[in-house]
Amino acid sequence: MSATPILTVENLVKHFPTKRGLVRAVDDISFQVGKRDTLGLVGESGSGKTTTAQCIVGIYPPTSGVISFEGSLIGVKFNRREKRLKQQIRIVFQDPGSSLNPKRTIKQILSVPLKVHGIGQPRDRLGIMSRLLEMVGLPPSEYLYKHPQSIGGGEKQMVAIARALATNPGFVVLDEPTSALDVSVQGKIINLLMRLGDELDLTYLFITHDLSLMRNVASRVAIMYLGKLCEIARTDEFFRSPKHPYTRMLLSSIPVVTEEEELLKPKKIVSQGEIPSPVDIPPGCSFHLRCPEALPICSEIDPEMQSLGEERVVRCHLYGDSPCNR
Amino acid sequence: MPDLLLDIKNLHVGFRIFEGNLQVLNGVRLDVGEGERVGLVGETGCGKTTTVKSILRVLPMPPARITGGEILYRGRDILKMGKRQMQALRRHELTAIFQDPLQSLNPVFTIGTQLRDIVGDSAIGQGKRLSRRVVEAKCIEALRQTGMPDAERIMTNYPIQLSGGMRQRVCIAEALSTNARLLLADEPTTNLDVTIQDQILRRLDELVDERDASVLMITHSMGVVRDLTQRLNIMYAGSIVEAGRTKDLLDNPQHPYTQGLMASVPKLTGEGISEGIPGRIPNYIEPPRGCRFHPRCAHRMDVCESESPPLFDVLEGHRAACYLYGRNT
Amino acid sequence: MTTRDQMQADLLASLKQKRRGFAKGWYKFSRNPLSVLGLVVLILIVLAAIFAPYIAPYPEHAKPYTNFQDGGKPPSLQHFFGTDRVGRDIFSRVIFGYRFSLTIGIVVLCLGVAPGVILGLLAGYHQGTWIETVSMRVTDIFLAVPPLVLALAITAMLTPNLTNQMMAIALVWWPWYARLVFALSSSLRSQYFVREAELTGASRLHIMFKEILPNCLAPVMTKMTLDMGIVILLGATLSFIGLGVQPPKPGLGTMVAEGAKRLPGEWWGTIFPALAIVVVILAFNLVGDGLRDVFAVEEV
Repeated sequence: MSATPILTVENLVKHFPTKRGLVRAVDDISFQVGKRDTLGLVGESGSGKTTTAQCIVGIYPPTSGVISFEGSLIGVKFNRREKRLKQQIRIVFQDPGSSLNPKRTIKQILSVPLKVHGIGQPRDRLGIMSRLLEMVGLPPSEYLYKHPQSIGGGEKQMVAIARALATNPGFVVLDEPTSALDVSVQGKIINLLMRLGDELDLTYLFITHDLSLMRNVASRVAIMYLGKLCEIARTDEFFRSPKHPYTRMLLSSIPVVTEEEELLKPKKIVSQGEIPSPVDIPPGCSFHLRCPEALPICSEIDPEMQSLGEERVVRCHLYGDSPCNR
Repeated sequence: MPDLLLDIKNLHVGFRIFEGNLQVLNGVRLDVGEGERVGLVGETGCGKTTTVKSILRVLPMPPARITGGEILYRGRDILKMGKRQMQALRRHELTAIFQDPLQSLNPVFTIGTQLRDIVGDSAIGQGKRLSRRVVEAKCIEALRQTGMPDAERIMTNYPIQLSGGMRQRVCIAEALSTNARLLLADEPTTNLDVTIQDQILRRLDELVDERDASVLMITHSMGVVRDLTQRLNIMYAGSIVEAGRTKDLLDNPQHPYTQGLMASVPKLTGEGISEGIPGRIPNYIEPPRGCRFHPRCAHRMDVCESESPPLFDVLEGHRAACYLYGRNT
Repeated sequence: MTTRDQMQADLLASLKQKRRGFAKGWYKFSRNPLSVLGLVVLILIVLAAIFAPYIAPYPEHAKPYTNFQDGGKPPSLQHFFGTDRVGRDIFSRVIFGYRFSLTIGIVVLCLGVAPGVILGLLAGYHQGTWIETVSMRVTDIFLAVPPLVLALAITAMLTPNLTNQMMAIALVWWPWYARLVFALSSSLRSQYFVREAELTGASRLHIMFKEILPNCLAPVMTKMTLDMGIVILLGATLSFIGLGVQPPKPGLGTMVAEGAKRLPGEWWGTIFPALAIVVVILAFNLVGDGLRDVFAVEEV
């Protein structure tokens, strides 16, 4: 850990009871995010990464488990959180199209966090909003009066970022901020985020399914599958030698553009099988039905998280202190 | 040179809206040969979907107008075909898969009903009437070939009951069961998880190979085309800016836009992410004169602002629409 | 610190944006020739109703007036729509009759729409709680009774006149808006921008009225325009039965009832007021259709 952890998640569980059964969206995960770190949370559909973010931000209260931020417990829904927390923890959503109210101007959109948290005197707010837009690279005179539908996806996300930073937060959750954007715009947004992170001392929880992006952005990576954490490691370690079979399958499936990258991918692990529904999670290790290295024990006992050295954990019977390895 | 299945010559398409006339397609030149796999890569708003819709002639014609060019299929201009001919073409020769299978599949009919419709109709179109059992068997076989687990049960399911990957497999089954010669795939795996995408693309690859069909793969992902296509076209603001053999093009991009694009793609090698390409896509109502990319180009010259560059030969089988590589005579 | 110049520039820019939005809306509306026709007819009717005393050839005929000598005359150059049994010019009375119709339409919608919208907003935002249950069940109760029957019952209990007629129809009308806005509001609730406002800490009032309501306005306004026709018809029906505008006042429905006794001989007494009702309803419908196009999101 680079510094003291700013966010700690312990044994977080979030279940949703539905008509079709209990959806175990997040099933006992634990991790920490250090101050000024960028933790990348990676997973496919049903992995629980978005639900985790939603619990941290307060959209849902956890079913059980502990979330603490700067020492205080925060595991409740947003309407029961204190105002200071709403100022400190902010989120940038995935879909810029629906995260900005289409019937309001950008000026109106940006004024909401300022008004709610009483930032600046009312007559100063125009200036504050202008500075926020300049910070993300959008000329205020042009953009303040526009509606979201008349600006492009990248620009919408920049407005969303400006809005998130309006309350001077310490921790920002980025939920797939560039997944809906073109690659030529993505670079601009990511660099903006990294620069602002440095300038404003921000800590990021960066959620994505794009491992290539993660490689260049995160200081630590955590992989989730069907509500559980598979592996957490520092980025360079992770890509140099991925341990968990799911991680290796994920890495070998990524479409890459250069020969060098092709060589970096783990030897071809043919992805097989569909991702099970979170209502119908296989017994034992949830990945065992698709795992090319499954052992008999995998269909019976769910593996524990094993520590493999400094800041490295894997949850798999192939490693560490697992009963089958003794 | 193999026979050209599809040959788009200098296609111009515009849209009339409140603010003016959107000149979307500005001289698209593109071809697909028999048994070839060709990629069309471009970002949002470059006109790739408009191109596909023009080929299938499903553009909404009041706002849209075709202002020039031809789309030749086996030598005959699709744009001039009558309704009947077009229907026959869509039935037997062309087929398409789109990005969102939930929109391509009818939510109130079972997969079986929809597949049977297509398989049965396709047979009738070829002058054969198949018994129900044969049609059923063909449907199940088509599903199995896409790698669908438990094909018989899927026949009785509704689209909403399937996962995204399975729905897309159904769409592929539908598309390939007609024995069409040209498959137009418009971002078929963009909405899917990466492990599923990998499976589906590899399956598609095999199936297309077996049938010796041709594919025009439209996507914004360079990584997808790298494995799947032999030739590649890069599209920007309504025209093709670079074309060539896929691996050559990706390893050695010539056009400044392509170079910018390649630099923007995050790499597993971890060299950081470039700032992207400065500027925005052009305003289609008042597009830049000359080369539409010139306002954003670091190598811009005077000539770029006056005339639109044609595709110049840069290397063997590799062309780029840029005055860095040639001049108009 | 924002200077006065900056605030002025701010105001100017906001206004410019609004004007542009209006121009675009007009463009979309004007592409529909029928809608424009409807709008023109509507404007004419409204102007005629406002300036009735100056436009109608015989304005005094709208008040108690009898002249049996002129009674029962067919349409002519002096009396465009002919005269009724008592000698009153039907054309003039129709123009004054439009005053009643338009008043009914406007007042009912003002009375009925606002509470309906607010209730729908509240219920939609609090979906899943007792607020929603109570609101929507009350709405359901009102919706279960046929509008005409309910209006009849209310006006029959009270003295039949214009005011009670309007109140009765308003009471019948609000649930439709509650239901419309409830549906819109509950689906908008899960949009990211609403979530974002909640997470920021915005008050519920802000979220309902500043975030959700603006997105409901378009369907509500379209519905209001289309409803005007139906409300006017309902008012005319009540008058026809005798429970609305009372003779000798020139309500259009009242006139249709009076003239009906003289059918088929003196057809002009019924047909012209009836046509007048049709025209105003048609005009509102055409404008409503045009509005729907204006608000439709364009995909290119």
